[in-house]
Amino acid sequence: MADTGAASAPKPSSSVKLVLLGEAAVGKSSLVMRFVNNDFQENKEPTIGAAFLTQKISLSTRTIKFEIWDTAGQERFASLAPMYYRNAQAALVVYDITKPSSFTKAQHWVSELQRQASPNIVIAVVGNKADLASNDPPPSTSAPISDGDGIVAVPTDGGEGELEDEEETIRKVPVRTAKAYADEEKALFFETSAKTGHNVAEVFTAIANQIPETALKGPRGAGGAQTQRTEERGRVDLGVRESGAKEGCAC
Amino acid sequence: MYAIGDKYIVPALKEHARRKFKRYTTEEEMTVSELMEHGFDQAVKLVYTTPPNYRPLRNLVVKIAFKYQAILVSSESFLEAIESTPAFRRDLFLFRLTETSSNAMFNLSSLVQKAQQFIDPTLSPLNPGSDRRPSKATLFRSQFRLPASQNPLQEITAELTLAPHHTQRGPQNEGSRGEKDGTRVQGNHYVGKLHLSEQYLLFSTQGSSFLNTASLSASSAFTGQTHGAGPAGNGFILPLCAIRRVERLPTHSYMFALAITTWNGSGDGKGKGSGSSGGQKLTIQMAGSRQQCERFCDGLKKGLREGVKEVENLRAVVSECYSEFLLSELSDEKGGPENHDSGMREPPDTGLGKIYKYPGNVRKLRDATKMRLWREEMKENGRNATLVRQPTFHKLIRVGLPNRLRGEIWELTSGSFFERLQNPKLFEETLKKYEGRESLAIDEIEKDLNRSLPEYPGFQEEEGIGRLRRVLTAYSWINPDVGYCQAMNIVVAALLIYMSESQAFFLLSVLCNTLLPGYYSQTMYGTLLDQRVFESLVEKTMPILWEHLVRSDIQLSVVSLPWFLSLYINSMPLIFAFRVLDVFFLEGPKVLFQIGLAILRINGEELLDATDDGTFISILKSYFSRLDESAHPNSENPKLRAVTRFQELMVVAFKEFTGITQNTISEQRAKHKDAVLDSIESFAKRTSIRNLGPESKRLSSNDLGFIYDRFYGVLYERQQRLQTIQAEADRKTKNARTKATEVVTGVPSNTVETGRVGLGPSATQMDYDTFREFLAGITRWAVTDSPSTPLQDSQSEKQHSYFGNSLKGRPVNLSPWGAGPEPTDHEFMKRLFQKWDKDNTGALTLQNVVAGFAQVKGTKDIMSNISYFFELYDDDGDGKVDREGILRISEALLFLSRRGFERSLSSSPSMNDLQTQVSSETREGRRENRDEQFLSSVSAFIRRCFEYADPDQQRTEGEVKEAAAGIDNFSIGDDEDDLLDLGNNEKPTSPKKSQSPQTPRPNQAAANAALDPNNPLFITLPTFRMVILADEVLENFFDSAFSNSFKLFDPSIPSSTSLSANLTTFSNAGAPGRGSNVTLPVGGASAGVAAPGKGIRGMLDNIVSDGMRVAAEVRRRMDEAQRELDRAATGRDEDSEDEHDDLRTPRGKGDPETRSVMDTDRELLEGAETADVGVSKPVENLMDREIGAPAPVAESTKGEELFER
Ligand SMILES: Nc1nc2c(ncn2[C@@H]2O[C@H](COP(=O)(O)OP(=O)(O)OP(=O)(O)O)[C@@H](O)[C@H]2O)c(=O)[nH]1
Ligand SMILES: [Mg+2]
Repeated sequence: MADTGAASAPKPSSSVKLVLLGEAAVGKSSLVMRFVNNDFQENKEPTIGAAFLTQKISLSTRTIKFEIWDTAGQERFASLAPMYYRNAQAALVVYDITKPSSFTKAQHWVSELQRQASPNIVIAVVGNKADLASNDPPPSTSAPISDGDGIVAVPTDGGEGELEDEEETIRKVPVRTAKAYADEEKALFFETSAKTGHNVAEVFTAIANQIPETALKGPRGAGGAQTQRTEERGRVDLGVRESGAKEGCAC
Repeated sequence: MYAIGDKYIVPALKEHARRKFKRYTTEEEMTVSELMEHGFDQAVKLVYTTPPNYRPLRNLVVKIAFKYQAILVSSESFLEAIESTPAFRRDLFLFRLTETSSNAMFNLSSLVQKAQQFIDPTLSPLNPGSDRRPSKATLFRSQFRLPASQNPLQEITAELTLAPHHTQRGPQNEGSRGEKDGTRVQGNHYVGKLHLSEQYLLFSTQGSSFLNTASLSASSAFTGQTHGAGPAGNGFILPLCAIRRVERLPTHSYMFALAITTWNGSGDGKGKGSGSSGGQKLTIQMAGSRQQCERFCDGLKKGLREGVKEVENLRAVVSECYSEFLLSELSDEKGGPENHDSGMREPPDTGLGKIYKYPGNVRKLRDATKMRLWREEMKENGRNATLVRQPTFHKLIRVGLPNRLRGEIWELTSGSFFERLQNPKLFEETLKKYEGRESLAIDEIEKDLNRSLPEYPGFQEEEGIGRLRRVLTAYSWINPDVGYCQAMNIVVAALLIYMSESQAFFLLSVLCNTLLPGYYSQTMYGTLLDQRVFESLVEKTMPILWEHLVRSDIQLSVVSLPWFLSLYINSMPLIFAFRVLDVFFLEGPKVLFQIGLAILRINGEELLDATDDGTFISILKSYFSRLDESAHPNSENPKLRAVTRFQELMVVAFKEFTGITQNTISEQRAKHKDAVLDSIESFAKRTSIRNLGPESKRLSSNDLGFIYDRFYGVLYERQQRLQTIQAEADRKTKNARTKATEVVTGVPSNTVETGRVGLGPSATQMDYDTFREFLAGITRWAVTDSPSTPLQDSQSEKQHSYFGNSLKGRPVNLSPWGAGPEPTDHEFMKRLFQKWDKDNTGALTLQNVVAGFAQVKGTKDIMSNISYFFELYDDDGDGKVDREGILRISEALLFLSRRGFERSLSSSPSMNDLQTQVSSETREGRRENRDEQFLSSVSAFIRRCFEYADPDQQRTEGEVKEAAAGIDNFSIGDDEDDLLDLGNNEKPTSPKKSQSPQTPRPNQAAANAALDPNNPLFITLPTFRMVILADEVLENFFDSAFSNSFKLFDPSIPSSTSLSANLTTFSNAGAPGRGSNVTLPVGGASAGVAAPGKGIRGMLDNIVSDGMRVAAEVRRRMDEAQRELDRAATGRDEDSEDEHDDLRTPRGKGDPETRSVMDTDRELLEGAETADVGVSKPVENLMDREIGAPAPVAESTKGEELFER
């Protein structure tokens, strides 16, 4: 991992611009809200244009401050997206595991980013609303995913077939398909639930770990009181959830 | 003499026909046989014999045809009707072009909706105009926020005198001029312009002129500098139907003076002793020559008579206005006896706020006081339809509207009231019409219903959600191009707090159409454009802050975009956002900019400390949350302390940024428009190309980009051209309309630039004609040999194919082709089109075209190229091409080669080999030789094909006839094994063995032998392949020349600037007058003309046409033989002949002896011209469309007064 050998003394703090992309109502804003405020709302106003939030995350060697751009998902807002992913170092491309169209859209976003965004952008493909496919035994989604290769080895066809049958009506994007796609694109992959909080912090931590040290800029400017304020407000205890995530980035 | 007859028949006919046809347009679906039973084909012909000015009937027929196009194309008699009625054909085409600029999904039902939308206004007698307007009309409408149906008919300078009290009567001539600030001493005088439109009498102190004679600058003299009065200034916008009485006053001077009594003044009753209760009275003195005054009065009289019809509408619309209730209640208080029966008991719907409380504290908002002031205002100056705007009106708006009147005043100031007046039931009718229908927009709306102002109690319940759903849904139906855009939910939710569903519906429509042009469109270009404009205004007005933003890399639009898109509604606390809206609806879009600038100015110092987006945003967030606090909390002065931050904001916005006018905005929009559209387009292009599917991988990204540009370029150009034609046809229109719209809004009017991707949904499919034009731009062979002269264009424009996808009938296409090379038409092109049209939709998508090119150009493999070609001609896919097919192939080869392969061949290595073989001194010499060589190769090809062809299954004479009857389709291809043998031996079944393989051309005997219909034969792919590979020239053709004949992206082309421009965005490629000819290799547009005397070039063409003649000759013989056979076989084979004819089209009917591409085109041209004789000219027709509504029946004039009701 890029950061393991890095300086040991006082943790350097740096900011990372992260953008969320994905079809409307897949839960982008909800993911951000879970990450930043550890909160979830059933009825969230659709994002108009984009929303901006910040959140700090503490890694073993450094602190990273995410500047999060949460974008609007409706198709016609797509032409605004370049404005937001400009200079982004990381991107969360979110789809809804119950909506195949949202997965297709996610793929479009990945290729758009690969071609148009900063060359070293870290991309995470995120299947949200995992809570809806409640028949998934918890380990089968989280464990294999964080194991990287594990997922490919998991299924004997029979076993998984049964599983898929049961949840057929709800889950529309199989874990395997999405994982294989993410691997091919050299992107991180997670299934999350903004509702339950499952895997949410893990995504962000994994991204933070992926950001190469060299790409990090210091905290911008002298900041002043304003910066302080937002940071404090946004601070969330990530200590517990942080641990399991590192395996997530199988690079 | 027909004309005379028609005159008498028409009135009866049109009534009958309209009644009859109405049926077709109703929801019940009909089958084609039903339609034919009803004599639809006859009806078409009949309707088109009526004089062209009876537009509605024609429209109806076109509409029906369009609706049922899918089934009608299968009817021979209908196609015949189309063919024999060029005007109908043209109308269909126009209709189609206007209507098909739909979304990516080519959805017939949505087309029909649009069709109705397009047609209905023209059917309505209330709207004599359609979308073609006189030049100043747009400005005129924009200034007064009038519906699209209104045009400036008359105008005159005048002075308006308002009686200070409604009880006082008569003009107050001695009034104190200059005291305009509401002092009611002796009445107020205003000098301005009096205007008359079809349905309105208007007076404005903004003295702009909209006369046809006025220069454009004079009509835009209105600078947008409204000083709070809004674009309409002080004055009135009176619907003519709201005028009760007009008297000409006796004046001592030469001038005309009119006294106008409005509908108000005696409750909402009518005819209760008019004017007796002291109705609102306006006095107008006209300043003009006697003639001018009289002309104006005549116009007014006419309009007033017409206006009578709309009194009922007005009554209905006005009854939904709270002011009616308010004032009638007032009269009741006074105990006016005449109001007891007519007064309204139930207050009209004033929005959800009535049920769930209006936001904010009523006492703090001083709602009661405001209400009292408004009541005064309206008592004196009229209400809703008859309100006269004086300075107090604008002041009252600036301080914030009272809750219950808010909706109504929004409606009035935005102009949506006039839209509602025009079509009061549109909302309800739309909902009813589309009840139960589904759409993408509805899905999207449904997703957001629970997510719209969720903190307002009304939207936590079905009551509010239901209203929101209905308004958004209805709007998505009447404007499918916009459909639904996130943010509309928030805006509409806000509106619904203060107004009824129907009112919100019309206001939304005004928002989308005029106040926020392009904001919610598919590409949101309006939003992006205004962000650019906003940024540039910040740069201008606050350079230091701007520089800071740039230095800190803070992107302003990221912050400001939601402000504009949702009108500050979810940025500021609701009560303040509504105050902004109050002014916004009166004064227009500039208000959004003024407020935005003021926000930045007020927070400027703090913002200068922010060095990242996060800080920047949080400063503004906290500012918004404290808008109700004192702006000067520490001030000694209690008055100053009382000033809230919001008040401060308003003051800064409208005082400090008073220089930001509508003009400023328009100018800036015009300035940035292209850059914004370009960036949207390049984004769209990237996205589109990326999503083209796996086939696209076989083409280079440069090629893909090129195809994309050409594809949309051609579509765009064609739409543009069509519009130009239409515009030119209307003398009044000229170009001014484009300009006028842009002058007003700065945003290109969507109708003018349809087709530009950046502006939103545009045509995404290419019909055959467009495909031809497309090909002509990228190949040499698709360019016609006999271009029609430009002069003939407007004539022949009607020759466009109607549905574009019907290959039946005669695809005669001599539309104007713009500046690009005019395409020819050849069976090969048609086959290519059909092959690429995988889904048989009759049109090609970009994906189809890319997939097509992937096959043609994506393979470098000669074998697959050969089989591709073979498959093009293997109609039934059985692996065999029959005699007919062989001839067609050879024709196609000659067609493709008729201009040589200059560039492509010389650039291909294999051809270089060839060149060295051909002894040659000059380049031309080589070419000549090559062309000759190609000719002889094709001849040899025909010969060999017949030589090596397999006899069809039936070898015995007895079965011959059957075979000739097209049975060869069913033959079993078991002969492949024989091929090797056959390659060496004479065909045993060939009856005559006299053909000599050495002859360079097939001699008569050989041809006869091959063509002997008694000897059905076919070739298989292996045979075809062998024959091709046997000839070096043909081999080369298939190896590279064919695919190279399509010129896509070519980096080797010397850095012609126009070409490189071509590659960036299609908008450049599509620029009229450029584009196509730059992509045409070498010869350029002139290559299209094969001038016979043009030296070597001409000689070569002669050789080529020689070759064509050979093929033609071959075919003629075959036809002859066939005919002979026909005679013998008593026509049993008609079926197969028909089939061929369909594909062969233009050729089938020409004289085979002289048939060449050139000649066929000529013929068709001539045919086209003659077909038009006796039919109205297109120019006339286009005009009819605008002015074709039946003339209103004159009513008898009344009395001495100008008007009285
Ligand atoms: N069951 C479940 N629902 C979720 C989850 N995440 C979000 N939702 C719901 O999905 C809906 C949309 O969530 P948002 O977060 O607003 O979606 P978005 O992607 O930001 O949408 P746009 O801003 O319109 O692009 C809301 O009703 C959420 O309550 C999840 O993990 N599980
Ligand atoms: Mg969101």
